[in-house]
Amino acid sequence: MIHLVAAEGLKLRTTRLLLGMIPAAVAISLAGVAGTVLVHGGGDRAVLESAKGVRQVLSATGAGAILVLVVGIIISAGEYRYGTADDTFLTTPRRHQVLAAKLAVGSGLGLAVGVVTSLASIGIAAVLYSTEGATFPLDDAEVWLTLAGTLVYTALFAMLGVALGSLVRNQVLAVTGALAWFAVVEHALVNLAPDIGRWLPAAAGQAIIRTPLDGLLSPLAGTALLATYAVAIALSGIRVAATRDA
Amino acid sequence: MIEVRALTKTYGGQRAVNELSFTAPAGKVTGFLGPNGAGKTTTFRCLLGLVAPTSGAALIDGCAYRDLASPRHHVGAVLESTGFHPARTGRNHLRVIARAAGFDAPRIDPLLELVGLQSASDRRVGGYSLGMRQRLAIAAAMLGDPEVLVLDEPANGLDPEGVSWIRRLMRIWADEGRTVVVSSHLLAEVAQAVDRVVIIRDGTLVTEADIADLTADRVTVRVDRTDAMLDALQAAGADHELLADGAISIAARDTAEIGGIAARAGVTVTELSRRGTAETLEAMYLAVTEAGGQ
Repeated sequence: MIHLVAAEGLKLRTTRLLLGMIPAAVAISLAGVAGTVLVHGGGDRAVLESAKGVRQVLSATGAGAILVLVVGIIISAGEYRYGTADDTFLTTPRRHQVLAAKLAVGSGLGLAVGVVTSLASIGIAAVLYSTEGATFPLDDAEVWLTLAGTLVYTALFAMLGVALGSLVRNQVLAVTGALAWFAVVEHALVNLAPDIGRWLPAAAGQAIIRTPLDGLLSPLAGTALLATYAVAIALSGIRVAATRDA
Repeated sequence: MIEVRALTKTYGGQRAVNELSFTAPAGKVTGFLGPNGAGKTTTFRCLLGLVAPTSGAALIDGCAYRDLASPRHHVGAVLESTGFHPARTGRNHLRVIARAAGFDAPRIDPLLELVGLQSASDRRVGGYSLGMRQRLAIAAAMLGDPEVLVLDEPANGLDPEGVSWIRRLMRIWADEGRTVVVSSHLLAEVAQAVDRVVIIRDGTLVTEADIADLTADRVTVRVDRTDAMLDALQAAGADHELLADGAISIAARDTAEIGGIAARAGVTVTELSRRGTAETLEAMYLAVTEAGGQ
């Protein structure tokens, strides 16, 4: 199993995918954090320094996770797009092992991106706070809880992408479907039926990164829920891979 | 050894492969021939565990592909559908497979040299020609030094020199005792290289024979009264067969002997010739492809 994870890591390193996606994910996160400080804070020191303000600012770090999800989809569905799935399954005929290795690599990548964006976010938030005349409360537990949430969130989004890409093998369809869901569909559903909104994946994600919104689950419940989504989709993906012809 | 037993694969009610059985023994190059759409690729995909058979089995040394302990050590395959990530270099393509297969010290450099890609190995596959991709696919198949080689139309995209290179490779592999199965829709591509042929049409077996059995030279005769000639041959105890074009093929070395039988039977010979292996094989395959084209 370890060599399969190593091989999946090698696959990822030997294309140019990460070269574009990782900087883009970090940039989106930083833009989100900077925008939130400038717009949300509005020069009001008290708002920025409040626990809610800090959560608001740092939860914007999660914005880059959507690109990590896209990378996850490409890790799985890309094998069908380029026809490398044949070689992969010739080497590892037991296909669930391939998906398990991809999930491991995806979550590792998500964690790594989470660490990088989190640290960069703190840096940029601290700088912008001082330009706004405020002090970024580095010693506040809120900061570290929110950032821990970001790591979990990015890792789970990567796994969600890997799982989704194994279920929907058409990469373009999977990516556009996922983007449409997180940008449009879920918001629409939340507006239509607010009661079920908190049980949907994006809301579960917002709970994990402690976005100060009403009606969200607790961070732990959100983690469990998003993980359940990822596992459920991955299991369907395994079912499909085992029965469908490659 | 490869054993295909009553293999059937149905796609949406259509039988791509229908109760197909044949064997490909070790130490021989088996040509798997048939017109396009005869079911060759589907048979290979069933054999390699990429597609689940509807019924029957395709076994490698008695095992289904997914039950092989180390598939890449056991079987090397070159499939038409296999793709490459365009941004990955040729060398990295091989490294990925070696890593996933758990090969400790992959012999990547000698393989790149064997297939003539050493100078292109660090270029992205996106810039490779069809022939170079085919060579890379062959290198990938050879990574695990497998005992069984399955090649699906390997000559596609290769220039004549490349085709003869593949033939020589297959000969070497078979002489080393490996099982080699090569599919083609063009007999001429593989005729000189195979020890055995399996011919299929519409997913069904037409002929399975060793070339050695075809080499018993055959005499072909055409006469004015075919029925009388068939009776005479029967009476003479000659092993014979009526061909699709109306000629009679007889297992015999001597044209004079057959001429004599015709004379004694009182039929007029309009054509009398000896057919060698190549011609026999060609006639056999032509009959199959023509029937398939109707």
